[in-house]
Amino acid sequence: MRAYKGGVRAVDGLDLEVRDGEIYGFLGPNGAGKTTLVRILTTLLRPTSGSARVAGHDVVKSADAVRRSIGVALQEAAIDPLMTGRELLRMQSALHGLKLAEARERATDLLRRVGLTDAGDRRVGGYSGGMRRRLDLALALVHRPVVLFLDEPTTGLDPTSRSALWREVRALNDEGTTVFLTTQYLEEAEQLADRVGIIARGKLVAEGTPETLKSRVSDPMLHVELSEMGDADRARDALSGLGELEPQKEGAPTRVALRTRAGKAAIAPAVRALDEHSIAVESVEVESPTLDDVFLAVTGSDLEGAGI
Amino acid sequence: MRREARVILALGRRALSVQFRRAQLLMPTFVLPLMLLAVIASGTSAAQGLRDFPDIESYVAFVIPGTIVQGALLAGLTTGTALAGDIEFGFFDRLLAAPVRRASLVIGRLCGTLGLGLLQAAFFLLVAMPFGASYPGGVSAVVLSVLLAAVTAVGIGAIASAIAIRTGSLSLMQSIFPFVFVLLFTAPAFLPRPLLTPALRDLAAYNPLTYVVEAIRGLLSGDPGLGDLWSGVGAAVGLALAMTALATMALEARLRAT
Repeated sequence: MRAYKGGVRAVDGLDLEVRDGEIYGFLGPNGAGKTTLVRILTTLLRPTSGSARVAGHDVVKSADAVRRSIGVALQEAAIDPLMTGRELLRMQSALHGLKLAEARERATDLLRRVGLTDAGDRRVGGYSGGMRRRLDLALALVHRPVVLFLDEPTTGLDPTSRSALWREVRALNDEGTTVFLTTQYLEEAEQLADRVGIIARGKLVAEGTPETLKSRVSDPMLHVELSEMGDADRARDALSGLGELEPQKEGAPTRVALRTRAGKAAIAPAVRALDEHSIAVESVEVESPTLDDVFLAVTGSDLEGAGI
Repeated sequence: MRREARVILALGRRALSVQFRRAQLLMPTFVLPLMLLAVIASGTSAAQGLRDFPDIESYVAFVIPGTIVQGALLAGLTTGTALAGDIEFGFFDRLLAAPVRRASLVIGRLCGTLGLGLLQAAFFLLVAMPFGASYPGGVSAVVLSVLLAAVTAVGIGAIASAIAIRTGSLSLMQSIFPFVFVLLFTAPAFLPRPLLTPALRDLAAYNPLTYVVEAIRGLLSGDPGLGDLWSGVGAAVGLALAMTALATMALEARLRAT
């Protein structure tokens, strides 16, 4: 798929598939093309070339069928501040063909679900950022969509609101909703996504489960903190069969680092090996690669510095 | 069909209720025409004594159709302004992502304009009464005048919507406000056509609002000689239908272009 936006190739040769019932995290910095892709998939933007199908329907040829199947919460929660939450839900219900009584009932249910029952009859202009996001999510759920698009749903939210929204997204996914989530937060992708696609400058540069992507970058690192100074060499000998030893760092004479594919599973053999050599251990830690490491490896810059 | 009707009603209800919560948009549509009415009625009432000025009970009753049409113009313009705001701030995307006909999005908003036009025209007619306006045409004439004004507001609202859709610019919509007065003063809103300058008289013949103003004047005064009802109905309905089609086409063109 390709899309040009004001002469800029915003999305270029993108080819991806989201499986039924999964949470797909689309990760990339600002300007990478995430929102352009969401706008194409939600029928708000036509691709310049290529094709896309959502819930089995072509986004250009069967746009209406796509719209019936999807729920959309776009970036920055574009909600009329002069309307109340309940009014917005009822209007959204009408847009999706719900009858008046059904719309009334659905509004009440959704307000309860997103924790806005008390605020439902207040104008949205008085809502906090978190409340707006939750209302936006409720609006996207009015017609029980099979696919839910969330475009940077937690940008600008405080940690509590972010966690609450994550819980809700997980619950929706547990109920069978496929979720396509764009985010610039690594933690969000790690916490929520079954699979992650990384986009940079309009191209998909990596895709897989967070664990697979991380394992492609490097093996986890086992950090062993020894109790006694001078045990480092003996410890290195004891651990040499368990993985690849990192060079001893100056200024850290009691620390030994070992890169091993086994990750956490290597803790017990490592402690046993050190014990057999009568080496006292203070602590053992496993450091896994992060999605930021993945991002750095596939794009050559970290997520923060990759904005276009 | 029923489904689309529900969509249109919901959008119309939203457009109207939000209008009443946005004082900065609502106030001018009600207050400005009354202010102009007060100025015109007190400053130019001497015109009533001129030759070619029709024989009418009160000058206020003569100029109130101009006030009603000015209200319709402003109601229409605020429709475009509100729509441009929806586009600029992203709310319109929410509507576009819903499985509704594109024409329903335009018509729904114009339903709100229709409601506003009805309320405005009724309000102006009521307010003018204590200041000497009377309506010899009777209740049916008043009802028809209000309807005619509301349909005119829809036509103007549709033009404004087409501009808003094409540009998506709130500031541009606000800047076209002065054109309201150009349209108003190139129609015989406050003076009969024979008393306009020849150039204005020629322009007035091409201004659909001319026929609406005269039709309302004829209706309210009970004197069909002051304005032909069917010319007014033709102008208002024609304007509303043609401009609604134009706004719908503008929306389709915008969606094709993005």
